[in-house]
Amino acid sequence: MRRCCCFLSFLFLAVLFTVIQTNRADAIPAFSRLYKTECSTCHTIYPELNEYGEAFLKNAYVYTGKPRAGSEAEAAAAEGTGGAESAARKEKGSQSLEPRGKVNEGIWLAGIPEIIPISFTASLNLAYDEHPANGDKVDLSTRALLLNAGGAFRDKAGFFLSYVPYSEGSFDPSTSNTPLNNATNIQELFFVWRHLLDTPVNLKVGRFEPKLSLWKSKNNITVSALAPLVYRVGNSLYTVTAPEDGLEANAVIGNRLFVAGGVVNRKGQNTKEGYGHVSCKFGGADLLGHEPSMDLDNESIWDYLSATIGAYSYYGRNAVNDVGNYYYRTGVDLDVLYKRLRVRVGGVEGWDGNPTFAATKAALRSFVLASEAEYLVGSQVIGAFRYEYQDDGAGITRRYIPTVAYAPLQNTKLTLEYKYEAAPAQIDRIAVLGLMFSF
Amino acid sequence: MKRVVILFGILLMFTTPCIAGVRVIGSGDSMRFDPSGFPQNMKAAYEIMKVRCVKCHTLERTVIAVTTGVAPITGQPFDRHATKAYGIKMLRKPDSNMTKQEVKTVVELLNYLLDEAAK
Repeated sequence: MRRCCCFLSFLFLAVLFTVIQTNRADAIPAFSRLYKTECSTCHTIYPELNEYGEAFLKNAYVYTGKPRAGSEAEAAAAEGTGGAESAARKEKGSQSLEPRGKVNEGIWLAGIPEIIPISFTASLNLAYDEHPANGDKVDLSTRALLLNAGGAFRDKAGFFLSYVPYSEGSFDPSTSNTPLNNATNIQELFFVWRHLLDTPVNLKVGRFEPKLSLWKSKNNITVSALAPLVYRVGNSLYTVTAPEDGLEANAVIGNRLFVAGGVVNRKGQNTKEGYGHVSCKFGGADLLGHEPSMDLDNESIWDYLSATIGAYSYYGRNAVNDVGNYYYRTGVDLDVLYKRLRVRVGGVEGWDGNPTFAATKAALRSFVLASEAEYLVGSQVIGAFRYEYQDDGAGITRRYIPTVAYAPLQNTKLTLEYKYEAAPAQIDRIAVLGLMFSF
Repeated sequence: MKRVVILFGILLMFTTPCIAGVRVIGSGDSMRFDPSGFPQNMKAAYEIMKVRCVKCHTLERTVIAVTTGVAPITGQPFDRHATKAYGIKMLRKPDSNMTKQEVKTVVELLNYLLDEAAK
């Protein structure tokens, strides 16, 4: 009882702290340092992307239309009359104002980013689990330390690295007071050759989350990811957002349509896996980040409304001890944004031929749905509610997840998430207070 | 002659950066436009800009865009097309709290400043 009171007091103090803390936001991680801009350029509350973050991602980490830093005047002059005026002003302005983005020409010619584009993300969680596996109901832990690097080699190529130096492993009291390091691993490491042979096609190679859903696994404000992106069937480790080693071609067509397709190579088997994605955006900024035209004299609901719809399919095979499991996933996503309100709905239908890798094959069908509504309050708080329905072949689980996320600084997020989970075996209630910061 | 040079030197100490018709005061994060020479309606528009724009970024960013003709983050030309596009972007930013009328007023101010800077 006393421990419960302590926990509730801590939660209350944490929430109180989030409410009374008000600061002007400043942020510093890799892209922010590289492009000298704030996190909110690409994120609502990080790591959730806004439409400019999505455009930046699709453009392989290059600002759309960005000319060579240090030669803006040339680029502006190339734009025509208005550009020539801009170039002239640039010339005048440079007499008294120190231009930003001044780049060493040698470094630029070599294609090297001027600063090492590295940042770290740390996750610290305080979790309360009604039915924990190890009997530890209240658990304060350092969950993970992530190293991120990313950027562009001029406007020719982009790259991204996500490496895990520490993730919480097992606890061995004979060797340490704290949990051991689970394993270090490269989550993502890929290179994107932009606009291959002057076409809109980008070619991505390396380890990455294949482009299936509209959202990457970390593209949300909650601690837990959307169920359609991370659910598993049987003993198969496949999830929609699992990183894979592969080759992907993607392109923005007509500024509103995005298509992607790729091949995945799984170690130890000759059978390749394949996938495809298509999505289309209606309203709002287009997929390259260009603003929509708007009449500034008259109000219209369409000025603030945007909707993106996407569909995808993945066909693959994995195996344990040469016992194979052929499977597929087909999904549809919808992302609607209206002013401060965002609604996301995603559903996946799947089939696995032998997900338990048993000698006697037993196929399973799965169907998982998630819907989430979130509302931005002020600039620093997002409230969200999510409903998930998961039929993974072993039974039906329903989850109700209210969440409040607060960002006192643009690089720091405090999330209070409550998960009510009605699974076939039992009903579980899990509360997590997650602190995440990047630097 | 010596007095004239000293007087000139003292006067130089009080000068501020001036790009053609646009007067700029302060430096770094506190850099901003000097609205003393603005027409009355542009002074009113500047009051809106001062409050709304600095909610997310410093006025230094706006000063650099106007005086150089290049948006400092994207590196793209900052001209009349860009002012409207940025206005729309800020209007659609969920936490900007700007109305269409305010955006229109600020876009007109930016266009005025661009014209002045081009002189």
